[in-house]
Amino acid sequence: MKILGISAHYHDSAAALLIDGLPVAAVQEERMSRRKNDAAFPLAAIEWCLDSAGLEPEDLDAVVFYERPMLKFERILTTALRSFPVGRKAFVHAMRNSLGEKVWVRGIIQAQLGVSRRKVLFTEHHQSHAAAAFLTAPTKEAAVLTTDGVGEWATLTVGRGRRTPGGATSIELLREVRWPHSLGMLYSTFTAFLGFAVNEGEYKVMGLAAYGTPRFADAVRKVIRRTADGAFSLELGYFEFHTSVARSFSQAFVDLFGPPRASWDPIDLATDEGRRFADIAASVQLVLEEILVDMTRALQRETGLRDLCMGGGVALNGVANARILAESGFERLFVPPAPGDAGCALGAALYADRVHFGNPDRDFPDHPFWGPMAEPAELARIAREDGLAVETLDDAALIARTAEDLAADRIVGWMDGACELGPRALGARSILAAPLSAQTRDRLNRDIKYREEFRPFAPVVPAELAERFFVLPPGGVRLARFMSGVFPVRPEWRARLAAVTHVDGTARVQALERSMAPRLHELITAYGKLTGVPVLLNTSFNLAGEPIVNRVAEGYSTFRRSGIDVLVAGGARIAKRTRAKVGFEEEIA
Amino acid sequence: MRSLFTPLHWLVWRDPKRRAENLLRFAEVEADGGRDLVRAAEVTGDPVLRRLFLKHALDEQRHADLFRGRGEALIRALPSGSSGIQANWMAPGERGLDDLQVEAEGDEALLAFLHLSEKAAAKDFTNYVAVLGDDPPTRDVFKKVLHDETFHMTYTRAQLQRVAPQRAGRRVWVARLRRFWKAYLRLAAALAGLVGGVVLTLQYFLILPVFALAARRAAKAEPPGFSSVAPERNGPLTGQY
Repeated sequence: MKILGISAHYHDSAAALLIDGLPVAAVQEERMSRRKNDAAFPLAAIEWCLDSAGLEPEDLDAVVFYERPMLKFERILTTALRSFPVGRKAFVHAMRNSLGEKVWVRGIIQAQLGVSRRKVLFTEHHQSHAAAAFLTAPTKEAAVLTTDGVGEWATLTVGRGRRTPGGATSIELLREVRWPHSLGMLYSTFTAFLGFAVNEGEYKVMGLAAYGTPRFADAVRKVIRRTADGAFSLELGYFEFHTSVARSFSQAFVDLFGPPRASWDPIDLATDEGRRFADIAASVQLVLEEILVDMTRALQRETGLRDLCMGGGVALNGVANARILAESGFERLFVPPAPGDAGCALGAALYADRVHFGNPDRDFPDHPFWGPMAEPAELARIAREDGLAVETLDDAALIARTAEDLAADRIVGWMDGACELGPRALGARSILAAPLSAQTRDRLNRDIKYREEFRPFAPVVPAELAERFFVLPPGGVRLARFMSGVFPVRPEWRARLAAVTHVDGTARVQALERSMAPRLHELITAYGKLTGVPVLLNTSFNLAGEPIVNRVAEGYSTFRRSGIDVLVAGGARIAKRTRAKVGFEEEIA
Repeated sequence: MRSLFTPLHWLVWRDPKRRAENLLRFAEVEADGGRDLVRAAEVTGDPVLRRLFLKHALDEQRHADLFRGRGEALIRALPSGSSGIQANWMAPGERGLDDLQVEAEGDEALLAFLHLSEKAAAKDFTNYVAVLGDDPPTRDVFKKVLHDETFHMTYTRAQLQRVAPQRAGRRVWVARLRRFWKAYLRLAAALAGLVGGVVLTLQYFLILPVFALAARRAAKAEPPGFSSVAPERNGPLTGQY
């Protein structure tokens, strides 16, 4: 059976193709269109998925959209009505936005793909999240918790999933918290208040939190209250996201927390104002963790299960995930590599296959590499055209050479095999660097990533060596598989791992099993032999404001425009002649 | 250099707040244009164009930084509380280079488009320099950018002559017509948006109040906290509701 899953129209649209229950291709539209967080109908992603499998649209048995558009429209319309008469602008904006394209999804799919009406199916948004979390995890039975900004009406769901090897699958959502009460919107509101872009800057809030003390926690607890049944509700007088298109927080919110930060004002942690922002970030982070830990603890008691699968954008909060693993009572926590809306394309297709069509359960390949391949020959061609020397090396020579580069503090653009699905570079499209010096981190921030100093870089370490460097609780290695948890760096290693240790002594570690990315595993091992520290800094291969690179041409243009010293694609390697801030200008001069 | 529109430009740039907003908007446009040029460099099969597009992209990024830096400096200099510019609550994904679909353009069409865009920008920036005599830092930003725009205008024309020696003139004319067509579409869309906004506003106040009352009553009846998920919600996937 051939099933195409699609997510689109909010942020991070994507397509995923299943054949006989197993994924063969999945990619975010942004990787194809090169527009970060592209929310457009993912035509390029769909075309690539079908082409890579040699299929035509008419070969598909079903096309599954990741949410129910009319139910979502109902929520948007009802929200506008509830805020009458102050929500006029929100109403006009919402109607234009929805009626233009978003409610006509069935027609768009039929028109774009030429498939019949009966082949177009719809999962609920949180069903898609739940399926993406549960059906990709190596577990037979688990509690499920999904939480994000909002889907149709639900903002958080709890449920349970069961798989029988070769048999039936069930995913049952039991309870939900409904709009406008939303953990995702709470965090996004603070993201906007702190002057960062919503749906993009939440990582910055988490990074900034480590610099603060949660002295505003009681104030945050005023804007989100716990309910008697263990859930929560927002005090809506502090928010405007449900009534306004321009602001997410109200004057009452400003009265409580002080003036918001303007996006162009730098955060200077040496000033009272800078520390206030860090303290607010720490406070909302703490309250979020408290609520999630409390809810997951109750869920564990209720279900008595050992495993928890989490999905939705909030599951990208690695600090909260680590606390859930340590304190909820669940022995294992599974967060997929794409817990946000992009992963819903895969989740929707899996849900349709296993639950709707009742196809037998199959184990899901435990990696995120479902996108286009990096072609070494393309790098060789482009570099030769530009007069750069290209080395084509066998695996052993390339690994040895790259390890030497890293040991010499060169920054390496690393493209290997198929691109990752999800927001994190997990070894296929990474910028790698030595983890040993704060200068390397500063150089990465200054010359390549152009980002705030309070944002940490992540380490990647062979899974079998992870506990030597990091304090991992039981189940920690699994959570770190897709960089989904933040854990303490062992005190004796913090000074040496200066480039990847955050100010609070933690790191968002990736514990890499050899079977998932063998070449990267070999590279880290070779680097360890040279330096005595088998750990690398691993950050996504992109520049600020751009999506992670996909094809070699994009890796090459990033290499030329930034301070990356070496670019490796498969067995091909090119290097700048001298270390430069921006290589292109130097080379072309 | 004075033009017919000099008084209008003077009016537009006179107010520091509007000046700052314009500069920040220019920064966005330049940054988006830079991303489009990066894409152009990635998809072209011509090595010379690839190198030039990448250099052009770096210039655009530098311009974005210049505009942003000056815009932010102007905002900081405004009396406290008067900026009225809110923190970021916009969804990402703004587009550069006039909604250009780089992948859909050939090298020739793209060069012609870039040539006209840079020419128009150079003309506008010359006018802005002329009216910014009382704000030397902002004027200097435009002068620096203008210097690059002149180079961009020249190289795009020269490269168009190289890749399409017989068709260069025609390409420029086609690009010019497309710019007019896009300007018309923008105007039409703005007008349609205005009319649509008026109609929706009328609906909001004339038709919706009764439904709004019902919706607010229903909201009050909703208990806080968890709601159970009806079993049928876990059912077939055929409906959009």
